[in-house]
Amino acid sequence: MAREVISTGNDLAAKAAVDAGCRFFGGYPITPSSEVMHTASVLLPKVGGKFIQMEDEIAGISVALGASMSGVKSMTATSGPGISLKAEQIGLGFIAEVPLVIVNVMRGGPSTGLPTRVSQADIGQAQYPTHGDFASITLCAGSLEECYTQTVRAFNLAERYMTPVFVLLDETIGHMHGKAILPDLEEVQKSVVNRQEFTGSPKDYKPYEAKMNEPAVLNPFFKGYRYHVTGLHHGVTGFPTEDAQQCQFNIERLVGKINTVAKDNDGLDDQMDYEEFMLDDAEVCMIAYGSISRGAKEAVMKLRDEGIKAGLFRPITIWPSPEKKLREIGERFEKIFVTELNMGQYLKEIERVMKRSDFGTLHKANGRPIAPLEMVAKVKEMM
Amino acid sequence: MSDIKQIKNLKDFSTSVERFQGGHRLCPGCSHSIIVREMLNATDDNICVSTATGCLEVCTAIYPYTSWDLSWIHIGFENAAAAISGTEAMYKALQKKGRPHSDKPTKFVAFGGDGGTYDIGFQSLSGAVERGHDFIYVCLDNEGYMNTGGQRSSSTPIGGATTTSPAGKVSYGEKRLKKDMVQIMAAHGCEFVAQVAPSKWKDLVKKTQRAYQASGPVYINAVSPCPTEWKFAPEKSMEICDLAVDSCVFPLYQIEDGHKVTVTYKPKVKKTVEEYCAAQGRFKHLFRPEFSHVIEDWQKRVDATWEYLLKREEAGI
Repeated sequence: MAREVISTGNDLAAKAAVDAGCRFFGGYPITPSSEVMHTASVLLPKVGGKFIQMEDEIAGISVALGASMSGVKSMTATSGPGISLKAEQIGLGFIAEVPLVIVNVMRGGPSTGLPTRVSQADIGQAQYPTHGDFASITLCAGSLEECYTQTVRAFNLAERYMTPVFVLLDETIGHMHGKAILPDLEEVQKSVVNRQEFTGSPKDYKPYEAKMNEPAVLNPFFKGYRYHVTGLHHGVTGFPTEDAQQCQFNIERLVGKINTVAKDNDGLDDQMDYEEFMLDDAEVCMIAYGSISRGAKEAVMKLRDEGIKAGLFRPITIWPSPEKKLREIGERFEKIFVTELNMGQYLKEIERVMKRSDFGTLHKANGRPIAPLEMVAKVKEMM
Repeated sequence: MSDIKQIKNLKDFSTSVERFQGGHRLCPGCSHSIIVREMLNATDDNICVSTATGCLEVCTAIYPYTSWDLSWIHIGFENAAAAISGTEAMYKALQKKGRPHSDKPTKFVAFGGDGGTYDIGFQSLSGAVERGHDFIYVCLDNEGYMNTGGQRSSSTPIGGATTTSPAGKVSYGEKRLKKDMVQIMAAHGCEFVAQVAPSKWKDLVKKTQRAYQASGPVYINAVSPCPTEWKFAPEKSMEICDLAVDSCVFPLYQIEDGHKVTVTYKPKVKKTVEEYCAAQGRFKHLFRPEFSHVIEDWQKRVDATWEYLLKREEAGI
């Protein structure tokens, strides 16, 4: 049975984690994401999980990576400056292929920036949070329900692709308080993806013996399978190597297991990667995500009241981007309007995929949401 | 070496030229501003301050206003000590070249909360002290992350209820003992390490002036009761300070050259940990029968620490 709750985005992300089987939270307080850890500190001990507040952001992600190696689903939550501090260890998560969910409740930056104000300026950071070559999975919630469902999905993707997965909320969504209808708990639990395990003899176990575009198979610690985990380039047993062929293969596999798979299958899983809102008969397509998409929906309705047939395309999986759908939109609509709370970080991706740059745009980086009427005015200018 | 500012009485002190102005946005009853004011007013020398992210930084310099009538740098949560290291090192380098010209020496002070000192800023502080920079590091110890919603820190005392160590039917809140930062910094070999309380202002000023006279790193741990998260009425801040000191939960003492302990305040009538806890909402749950052992254990530890300090003072080692 669907569950009706009154909650906030941050609380729902923590609740979703527990429902998805997460039993470990390691983190460090930072505005505006702290409530995720507050809720985790209450919920986890009740289900036999473990919550640890660490001494800094680096320790916050390191402890979660360590916990994840024991086979337990783990998460951490932070905001942009926290991601900056965690960056090196996020890289370890990528190369060692440790599943982890990282919730980033976005605030204004760079540096300390605007701690208590909304922003979507970590879109680029989520794509390339650290040095080196890899591919990132990033999901962006646009409603209270999605704070829940996308966090659940993030855990499933992390385990399936053996990689850190970002869930992007923003200050508005994270602190938004209201009614949310959550999916049935049993359904959620049924959908849970668990880590692949090697069941043969420990002698034959080679954790990183994955084929091209396939994830590593890391057995949980303490089960008799000994192997080496390192941030160095490694061979099939996990021990460091500088073998040119192996290193090239490693990186091609790391990128391919996400980007190529997403391209070939038109998405990372069978769930919807985007939302189309009143696009069927639209003349102008607005593109927005996260909290800004909520204002965009109202703008669509206002424009329609005034006789302008507008629609909204909202990407949910931000990275890898829904390329096929974006291309389709680029070909279908002559008039496209992009609005984000940054200086155009996702616009660049849209330009790349659609191979055009004649968009109407509205970008802000002042920590304030974009009002529907501002969008309406900009769209009218295009007509 | 600069002259020591003569401070005869509280009126004299409180009416001297302000280095830290009022009108900031710290909570009513916040002890931070009192500590900072007392420390900065203790000298007439030039002062350069770096502040870690925290209540003090957030509330005292919101554009276009500032409370700081001196050079002030906010750099990050984890690196106030590193920032002041750079400033101090460059000041020394410029002095060798005959610059900057000033008839007064410049003192370097870093302020951090307990989160920015005990936890995330510990590495940076340890490094700065090890390198021997001539600066004073002041920890405004309110025993938690009060700027981000009252989470626990490694300074939160056992039994304290915070947003990430909530007390309830099963848990009595924080399970760990408070980190002994004063002893840790003494072990670094700091020339001078002290614990102060804003209510004992004479003691605070005396120690601060001793700190300004030092030629190497100094660490000062200041108890800073927080009405918002310790949960008491704002007008009670100094009473809570006195309780902390009189119960010896926050003993006022100093350590010179890494070893010489002096207990600078000995309460005539020692209060109990129970009295200290009873005055604050964050320990309310400890008065339930099932958690009464927490206060009892805490009292034993406080007594033992107090005895230890007195013995070390007596032994002169």
